[in-house]
This record gives sequence, C-alpha cells and structure tokens, in this order.
Amino acid sequence: MASPMLNGSSHSPIGTALVHKNQPSKRSLELLPNGQPRFHGCSSIKRYNIVSKLGEGTFGEVYKAVSLKTNRAVALKKILMHHEKEGFPITALREIKLLKLLSHPNILKLEEVVVERKKEENNRRAILYMVTPYMDHDLSGLLENPAVRFSEPQIKCYMLQLLQGLQFLHASKILHRDMKAANLLINNEGVLQIADFGLARPYDDPAPEPGKGGGEATRDYTTMVVTRWYRPPELLLHLRRYTTAVDMWGVGCVFGEMFKGRPILMGNSDLDQAQKIFALVGSPTEDNMPGWSLLPGCDGVTTFEQKPNALHQAFREQGSSAISLLNELLKLDWRKRINAMDAIKHPYFTQVPLPAKPGDLPRFEDSHELDRRKFRGQKAAPPPAPAGGTVGMGPNGDFTHGVGPPNHHLSGYRGGNGNYPNGQGQYGPRRDHYDGRQQVPPVYDHRNPASHGPPPHRPTWARDVNGLPPGPGLPPRPPGPPPSAVTWGGQGRAPLVREDSRGGQPNGARDTYIPSYAANRENRDRVYRGRDCEQRNDDRGDRGRYDDRREQGPRELGRRRSRSPDIPRDRDRNRETYRR
Amino acid sequence: MDLTSLSNPLVTLDQLSSSSSQLDGLSTELENSIRFGGVQLTEAAGVLLRLPQEVIAQAVVIFTRFYTGPEGGSFLINPVKDVSAASLYMIAKISAIPQTPRSVLNVYAYLSLTAPKSRMDAPSDRQRPDPESHYLTTGAYLAARTTLLQTEAMILRALSFITKVVVPHHLALTFLQTLGVLPSPPTSKSRALAGRTISHLNTGLFSPQLLYLTHQPTALAVAAIYVAAKEIGVNLPCSEWWEVFDVDREELGFLVVGLGSSRLWAEQESRKWVEGKCPLTVEEIMLEMERGREVQ
Ligand SMILES: Nc1ncnc2c1ncn2[C@@H]1O[C@H](COP(=O)(O)OP(=O)(O)OP(=O)(O)O)[C@@H](O)[C@H]1O
Ligand SMILES: [Mg+2]
Repeated sequence: MASPMLNGSSHSPIGTALVHKNQPSKRSLELLPNGQPRFHGCSSIKRYNIVSKLGEGTFGEVYKAVSLKTNRAVALKKILMHHEKEGFPITALREIKLLKLLSHPNILKLEEVVVERKKEENNRRAILYMVTPYMDHDLSGLLENPAVRFSEPQIKCYMLQLLQGLQFLHASKILHRDMKAANLLINNEGVLQIADFGLARPYDDPAPEPGKGGGEATRDYTTMVVTRWYRPPELLLHLRRYTTAVDMWGVGCVFGEMFKGRPILMGNSDLDQAQKIFALVGSPTEDNMPGWSLLPGCDGVTTFEQKPNALHQAFREQGSSAISLLNELLKLDWRKRINAMDAIKHPYFTQVPLPAKPGDLPRFEDSHELDRRKFRGQKAAPPPAPAGGTVGMGPNGDFTHGVGPPNHHLSGYRGGNGNYPNGQGQYGPRRDHYDGRQQVPPVYDHRNPASHGPPPHRPTWARDVNGLPPGPGLPPRPPGPPPSAVTWGGQGRAPLVREDSRGGQPNGARDTYIPSYAANRENRDRVYRGRDCEQRNDDRGDRGRYDDRREQGPRELGRRRSRSPDIPRDRDRNRETYRR
Repeated sequence: MDLTSLSNPLVTLDQLSSSSSQLDGLSTELENSIRFGGVQLTEAAGVLLRLPQEVIAQAVVIFTRFYTGPEGGSFLINPVKDVSAASLYMIAKISAIPQTPRSVLNVYAYLSLTAPKSRMDAPSDRQRPDPESHYLTTGAYLAARTTLLQTEAMILRALSFITKVVVPHHLALTFLQTLGVLPSPPTSKSRALAGRTISHLNTGLFSPQLLYLTHQPTALAVAAIYVAAKEIGVNLPCSEWWEVFDVDREELGFLVVGLGSSRLWAEQESRKWVEGKCPLTVEEIMLEMERGREVQ
C-alpha cells in the first residue's frame, strides 16, 4: 500500500471499512433491524438545492442554496480540507464551535453542518459545508455597487448593529480577529451580521469594562491575524499581548470605508500599511502610543517619519461627532481605543440625523464576490436604480436611495420605542426590532429536544435523519510537497527534525518529532509534549488557517479586496513561530 | 456571564434507555465496565500527554457521548482505543494546547502495552517508561494516523459537530470562592475542601449513570461541593446555599447519591478487572461475551 490515505475502502461510511477490515461478520451491526443505518449525525447536502456560487478563490467556495425543507435561502460554505495530516481543520472546528455557542441578532447563525459525498474513482470522500442563513450582501460588495451610497442614518444603523454584535462577542470573551467589510453581511431587511469566525478564538483576559477601552491582556496571542488593510498598528508592530481593541480598530476602518465607499487604508505591504496608518492618524509617540518603541517593530523597521494626525482633513465632509468617533476607534494607543459598549453610547448615535431603523433601509441588488465583478470599473458610470426599487421605502414613502443627497429626513425614527439606539448597549431590549424578522433560537435543545426541530427520539447529536455518516472526508494527498514554502518530511519517512534549539517547539500541527529516541533526554521528553507550549500553540491554530487557504500570489495586487492574512504570511510563518 | 455558555446539551431518556452496544447484544453490566475501562484509558492518556484535567474531562465526555443511545457508536463496532484517542485528539485541538497525532498515538501505543490499572497508576514523570518501547514505526504510525483522523471525522459527524463540553471543575472553584470558603492564603482545610471537590467531580466522570450527560455543570459542581464539605466538616454559609446557584434540592439529592455510588462503583470495577484486563478491543469484548454465555 503506497499510502494509507489512498486506501479506497477506508473512505467508506462509518463502520464498513473503518473497523471491520478483519471482521466482515459484524457488518450487519451497522444497520437497524429495518435496514436503516444506525448512525445519523450530519444531514446530507441533498436537502439543499444549490442556486449559485457566491464566491470562490479568495475564500474557498461559498454557495447560495435553498433548503428543500423550509424553502429558505442559505449559504453553504465549503470546509476546506487541505491538511489531511491533521484531520478536521482546527480553524473550522473552532469556527463551528464558536458559532454554535453564540446567539445574537448581529452574529451570523450556524444552522448546521452538512455533508456531501463524492465518488471519485474508487475513493469516496466527504465534503462538509457550514450552513448559514443567506444574507443578500456583504458590506464590501455593497460598497462596490456603484448604485449604492450610504446615507448617514444608514451608516449609523449599520455601525450600531456592528457594535452591538461586537459588544456581545467581546462580553462573551471572544476575539474575532478578522474584522473587515467583506466579513460583515447585510440582508435586505437591513440587518447586519458579523460573519467569518475562522480566525476567532477565546480571549483569556477580562472582558472590556465601561470607560476602560480594551483593558490589558496578560497572555500572548499570535500576531498573524486580521487582514492587512484592517490590521491595527499594534499588530503591525507585533504586540503579542493584544486585546479586544484589535477588533475595534477594524470597526474604525469599516466606519471610514462606509463614508468613502472604499477601504481607507490600503497598504501594499505591512510596512506600507503602518506608514499609511501613521500618515492618517499621526506617527506614534510615547504620548499617543505609550510603549510603542519597545515593540518589535514592523518588518524590522522601528522608526517612522513624523506625521501629524490628518483625520479631520481626510474626513472633512463629515460632522464633528463622526470624526470624533472615528478618532476614538482609530486611536494608536490600544489601551485607550474605545470599546464597543462605550462606542454605542457615543453622541454620534444620538445626534441628528438619527440612525435609521434596519427595516427602513433600502434594498439593493445582491452583492457578493462574484457579483461584484460586474461592477468593476462601473463606479463612475451613471448609477442604475437600486434593484429593490421602492421596496425599502421609509415610513413616509419618501425614501429614495442611491446617489441622491443624503436622506436625512429618513431619520424620522427617533428611537420612539426608546430602545434604539440603546444607550445601555444591551441587546436584550433591541430584540424587539428583530422579532419576527429574525429568529434567535437557542443554540441547543437542552432537555427537551421536542421543543423545536428534531423529533424526540433523536440523539442530541443526531438530529438529522438523512445520511448515514460517510467516510471521513480526507482527500487523498497529492503527490509532492504541500504548497507551503517549507517542505516537510515526505510520506515515506518520518519527518525530519524541524525544531530549533529551544527544543520542543511545536511546529504547527505538523509532526516534528524526532524519529529516533536514541537521542538525548531532551528529545525524549517531546514524546509527551508539555504544557509549556501553551502560548506557542496559539499560533498553531492560526497557521492551520493559513494553510487552509490557497496560494495567492501576485494576483492580489489587482484586487480590491484585502485578504485575510494568509499566504503572504505563509512565508513568514516560520520566522514568526520562532519569534514569540 | 451568559448562562448558555455554562450549559451542555444533555441526553434524552431514549438515549439513556438503550444503546448501540446493547443492540449488539452487550449486557448493560459489561457495557458499563467497558465504558469504565475506556474512560480510564482516556484519563491515563491525557495524563501522559500532560493535558490539564479540564481538557481530559472534556474528552471523556465526548467519548461517553459517542457511545450513548441507540444511534451512537457501539463497543462492538468502534474500538474503544480509537474513539478514546480521537476524542482526546479532537478536544485538545480546540483547546489551548493541541497535540500532534504523533504524540497522541505514541501514548496510546504505550498504553496498549501497559494498561494502567487505574488512572492513579499513570506513571509519574519519574517513572516515565522508555519511549523506545512504544515509539511507532513510520508504517504503523501512518496507519494509526489514518484511523485516528477517520475516527475523529466519525465522532464529529455522529455528534453533529457539537464539540462544546462545559466541565464543572473551574465552576466549582468559583462557587467555593463565592461561598467564602476559599480564603487566601488557603488553609489546610480549604485546600482539602477544594481537593475533595475536584476529586468528586473526577470520579463522576466514571459514573455508570452518565452524570455528565444528564446534569448541567452547575448542578455537578454544587453536588461535589456538598459532598466534599460534608466529608471534611466545613460549614457552608446558609442552609439552602445551592439555591443561589439555581440547583434545587431534588437534583442535588440525586447527584449526591450519584457521586457517592460512582466512587463505590469505580473501586469495585478496579478490583473486578485486576487479574484479567478489562476487555477493550472488539475481540476481547466478544470473548468476554462468550464467557458470559458459558457461565450462564
Ligand atoms: N450567509 C451568507 N450569505 C451570503 N453570503 C455569504 C454568507 N456567508 C458568506 N458569504 C459570502 O462569502 C464570503 C466569504 O465568506 P467567509 O468570510 O465566511 O469565508 P472565508 O473563506 O473565511 O473568507 P475570508 O477569506 O475572508 O476569511 C463573504 O464575504 C460573503 O460574500
Ligand atoms: Mg471572510
């Protein structure tokens, strides 16, 4: 057998090959007396009708589909399995776990994970998809639509929802670490949801407190997070003890982007990114960013040209409260950068024009990665009418959206219900607004599975009737080295030592074991890797993430979107790992 | 803190009343024994990997969930060792300290040679055995890794990707603090109290009543504190203190009995398999079933 991974039979459904290679007599046990497979587990993709592809390339594949059961539109995001050596990708596992945990109107809900069984030659492989409710746009796509210009009440409405979602996330002690317009989804009901938890992780330090920004962290995290254009200065300078404030910087970038219609800080390298930031908000000093000079620096550079804060100038068309909030969000000092709960209370949201109600916002033509190609180069052309026409009219029927003057009159909504904007920053009361439009069911059925969805006899983990769990979805490994810059030990022999002299360095989730234990005692100890790796291990997950992505070469330059930290960083990966 | 983050999905009555293994003809008694052996194995492997007890406990719960109910895994189809290893590997992966397949598999290779009689017997640092004796050759390793990853995928699907397991250990310490019985600096009594509490929680993982699958972590924490305080003779503040943590008297009563009997049962099981090893492989289990039939 050339490689165990290629053993066809091992990809068949549960039990048939997995366990019974030598015990064919047991096969009947996998079936119930009525011939039904005994395991249920995830349901099959056959319950969905795929409508179209929403995106590819940048981020694996996302499809629009319709549930045959509920007739509702969903998005199916393919879980890429590039690293069959580690099994189910750690990032996907984290993302699924976090999404199942979180239940908030402004956070994308994971409905289920479904499986597609593919027959390839004599291999059966399973591909898994995450199912989320379909959202008509992502913010980046929406902003690229030349027909779209946001009014101030609309911007306020989206910002508030974004902040409510983040406040919940941070209160739940989770770092998102990939805040950017493309990861904010918006539907035609005006609801904004935070998506893409592929880089998210639990935050081990105290949740933010009122008036105290993001607080201080005590633990190191990997700095290889956040898409460059949205990456905060402290990450560019490689602060490892960062806080929830990294997400707030991203909010500032998105805020500015909503005014400008395009990302405001489009650096073409990490250093360029830092320089662009300093050109906009001023260069770091011990005053505006205490401790900055002690940080490792950006690509080895630790001195920057003196620049004043130019934010007022850059956003001079905006009112002073908008600029004030932008200033708070784009603070160099991560300790002083405003947190979500305080930002919600910023006067910007209580001054006229008041935030629009989500339901009163206009509808637009769907905009996603693939759609937006058609907009490219059109931005200057005469804007077509928004697809939704009059559907999204305001209460007075006078809301015309598009490239007209800002619709300040739309702001007839004055928080008359007293709960929007919600000064307390609690999402509880605001639920009313979403009720009926958006369900927020509990993540799990606890004791009473009959209360919704699954029939009572289903195991909690086997709610879906359709498929018998298929064989493990481990695609056969392509011959030759993996696409990363480093070559790891080939299939045929044990991986070579790749640990540095520090010893015990867990190199990603890869096998870095010394094949022979004849060596010294230090090596032996690695058999059972100790807890001392805790911090470094944080990196592993993230590296898994980069690994999950496709090689993205120079094409990036031509693109309008900045990608999540991925391949450009792949190259840095080792250096980074050892830097600590 | 949001309460849903402190709760677990629990099993249904249906899942408790039957199981895949029973459908395959395993007696409840033998099923309980095998589960006990599997939990022990998982614990021992976790200790060897130097995983924190919380992570080990989560893996044990995943292991236990997998074999529960008529639609779960069967001890006669899904080998204990594979499911144990994959549970540990998967849970460690989403913890702060992921483990490579290599570490996990080496540890299981070692344990298959020298199964410890109980988790207390897991070798200490000093007695750690010679790795040569259990280092897997490349071929064996690749095969074992394939099984490990396949089993991981199978568990994930069987559990519908519900990987969240809240274990009560940390919670119990917080409760003790809230109750004001963990002074700092700690006294010998408060140390003993905390120690006993955690130890009851660990014993509960072995429960044939599947306490971790039928009760929420808050209730488990409260019950463990209750039992530990009684044992050590620590007076807890007010009479109905458990109400503060939203646990009612009835559930507490049930769990106090459950934790107590778990311990007796664990001791009994450890004795039972002292000479003959607890059957864990499919072959061993089949043999044991044969023997059971002959005895009748
Ligand atoms: N529920 C959804 N409804 C509509 N579109 C969606 C949905 N989920 C994702 N998309 C589209 O797919 C894109 C990628 O999704 P997502 O960000 O979750 O994937 P990703 O591969 O992790 O991306 P990235 O490379 O940016 O990290 C989004 O920007 C959005 O355009
Ligand atoms: Mg994304």
